Amino acid sequence: MKDLIARIRGECYRIKCKLFKKNVLIKKGLKIYNKLEIKGKGKVIIGQNCVISGLRGYKNYYVTLYTHSPEAIINIGDNVSLFGVRISAKFAVIIGNDVLIEDSSITDTDFHSIDRSRKTPTNENIERCTVVIGNRVSIAAKSIITKGVSIGDDSIVGPGSVITRSIPPNSLVLGNPAKVIKQMASK
Amino acid sequence: MKITFKYMDQKLCKIVKNPKKTLTVLKALLIGSFYIIYYRTITKTVTIKFPFFAFYRVKITGPGSVFIDKNCSVFKNIYEGLTIVTLSKEAQVKIGKGCYLGGLTIYCYKKIEIGNRTITANSLVQDSLFCEINRVKSLFKETDILEPKSVIIGENVWLGALSCILSGTIIGDDSVISFGSVCYKLKVKKYSLVVGNPGVRSLPIRHVLLLSEKQ
Repeated sequence: MKDLIARIRGECYRIKCKLFKKNVLIKKGLKIYNKLEIKGKGKVIIGQNCVISGLRGYKNYYVTLYTHSPEAIINIGDNVSLFGVRISAKFAVIIGNDVLIEDSSITDTDFHSIDRSRKTPTNENIERCTVVIGNRVSIAAKSIITKGVSIGDDSIVGPGSVITRSIPPNSLVLGNPAKVIKQMASK
Repeated sequence: MKITFKYMDQKLCKIVKNPKKTLTVLKALLIGSFYIIYYRTITKTVTIKFPFFAFYRVKITGPGSVFIDKNCSVFKNIYEGLTIVTLSKEAQVKIGKGCYLGGLTIYCYKKIEIGNRTITANSLVQDSLFCEINRVKSLFKETDILEPKSVIIGENVWLGALSCILSGTIIGDDSVISFGSVCYKLKVKKYSLVVGNPGVRSLPIRHVLLLSEKQ
């Protein structure tokens, strides 16, 4: 019963975006169990058969996709499931296929510079700041992904870890700053 | 009435020190006894013993069994109360006598035990790496990392705020887990301190106290 309601909510949201929001492109088979919020003028693409829901046991955690400039892109692949994720993009955030993310935040800017003026930082480009997450990656709760990071295919990110450098494929990662604990066998 | 007063002596001391708090304590006892009746009628697996002080909301869901002993109390911490989610039918959650639970969240697959008189801030206790384990298992070949292992926390332990306790950790009596630290497959001895993310080794508290006296 819950799956059917989620399926209908997803289809309604898809038609609403097709009519009114022309910067949002959603493909078929979306399921929405809890609230989904999209803000900003940038482009948002969501692939086929995605699942969007909040955390278990809470009502006020929901998925937010914010874009802070008209050139920004958030690209989400097929069969992705998001549980209470906050994504905010100024340049580009690219997520692959078959990804699972729980209660964590992904950003590709610092929003302010380090010096006293606190203006927008000048040394940020598209090449330096894009965040790329590979296929079949799973990211656990309370973890943070900062700008310019790329995560390889088939890797696991443990709970509470802060990722500041890019990670090779097939690895288990934990800690602040995150370090590789174990290399796993590839499928 | 003598039996109930015997277990309420901690709270009675608080009332004697500043008698303005009598109304808030009585209100918490009323709301706590409401939760006991509410969970007894709706689910048969959840049992809470009588002197239960709820200063903020309590939420328990899932098919597994939950047992909370006498004289526990729940506080508000960063706008979160006590939430317990059991994710399978074999899950067992056990909380001892006289615990102070502020903003604790528990996700249980197998077994979680918390001893008597522990103090918790806004912290997370899981016995697996992920909450949605069945979706993750279909992606990976090497699944022994993702298998849930039971968590045991001893008596008189203090869990600091924003700390995570993950699968396979065993914490001894009288020990302290500091602010923002993460424990994964860690075995902590008695009367020791854990610092850092990931928490690698535990310091004995006697050495820490001696160092602070020298300075």
